Amino acid sequence: MTERRPDFDALVPDDLGSSERERLRRVHDALVAAGPPEELPSRLAHAPDVQPRVVPLRPRWRPRLALIAAAAAISIAVFAAGFSAGDHHATPSAVKTVTMAGSPLAQDAHASLALFKVDSAGNWPMKLTVSGLEPAKSGRPFELWLTRHGKPLALCGSFVPTRGGTASVPMNAPYKLTEYDGWVVVEEGSMQPVLTTA
Amino acid sequence: MQRVDHTAQSDGELIERIAGGDRSAFEELYGRYARAVLGLAMRRLGDRGRAEDATQDAFVAIWRSARTYKPERGAGAPWLYAVARNAITDGLRRTPEPAAELQDGPGTEPDPADQAASAWTAWQVHRALEVLPAHERPVIELAYWKGLSQSEIAKSLDLPLGTVKTRTRSALARLAEALEGELE
Repeated sequence: MTERRPDFDALVPDDLGSSERERLRRVHDALVAAGPPEELPSRLAHAPDVQPRVVPLRPRWRPRLALIAAAAAISIAVFAAGFSAGDHHATPSAVKTVTMAGSPLAQDAHASLALFKVDSAGNWPMKLTVSGLEPAKSGRPFELWLTRHGKPLALCGSFVPTRGGTASVPMNAPYKLTEYDGWVVVEEGSMQPVLTTA
Repeated sequence: MQRVDHTAQSDGELIERIAGGDRSAFEELYGRYARAVLGLAMRRLGDRGRAEDATQDAFVAIWRSARTYKPERGAGAPWLYAVARNAITDGLRRTPEPAAELQDGPGTEPDPADQAASAWTAWQVHRALEVLPAHERPVIELAYWKGLSQSEIAKSLDLPLGTVKTRTRSALARLAEALEGELE
């Protein structure tokens, strides 16, 4: 296809001052050099599904749940007062445990992600347990992301492992997990997984 | 939650809001830059599907890196360009281009410095196009990328020729203002 370069003199009348004319000519030249912008396909009609940043252990409280929560807290406090020893099986059990393996960037790393029962506000409490993952040389933390087709799309929290390469971190996923198909751990600011479910 | 009108905010202000987790600021920035990022990815990758993937990667990177933006170091556009370009390059490393066959004779590839300058110009111009009002943008697109004359544009848009001329001149002036100091 041969492109017809528009004639600047036909577009801009010569009754303009020379400096203004020169200003518009620079724009004209830039438009010609740039070429047409790309048309966005439907899959790019909206920004990617990144969610608001999540701070670990801070579930999305609905205001009207606050009173219920307060009442529950009081009940738990009363219960706890009489609970001094013996059965400690009150810790909720995981409804699902996901295992993660180290990528070539961290071959010795392993992790398990315990998912607990979703709460009434739609938060999935979870606990990430990591071993064999040395702290990043950059000093930056690692991040746990939900992925779809391998792409990190929803941040669940961040952590810094110990020098021994371990971490045990409570996190929270306020997302519909069915919209995703995997998890990865990456160094903050990187797209390269160090741990993955794939 | 109360929605904020971000349309009057600079790119840098939007990036700072994104750093605070403001999804609506992210949407506004996406609207301003999605075409520019896709164009950059197309220039670099040359493949539509990979370029679309890279565009998504670039915006995820923008979301995640927003905290590293320092307004005292410069405007938002160059920062966005750098983050997008790096994300596209990262994607290229993950799925390398097929190896090209070696050819005899002098190379026909453009000079890398020229390519970089050209990509930056296109980035700025495509970003600036987003500031045009809806009634001015078609006259620019038809003139520059469809090759229509002013008379043909008037006929195509069913407008008086004088209106097309006025809108063209106004659009060029608006673009000049948006690109002030950016074009040599």
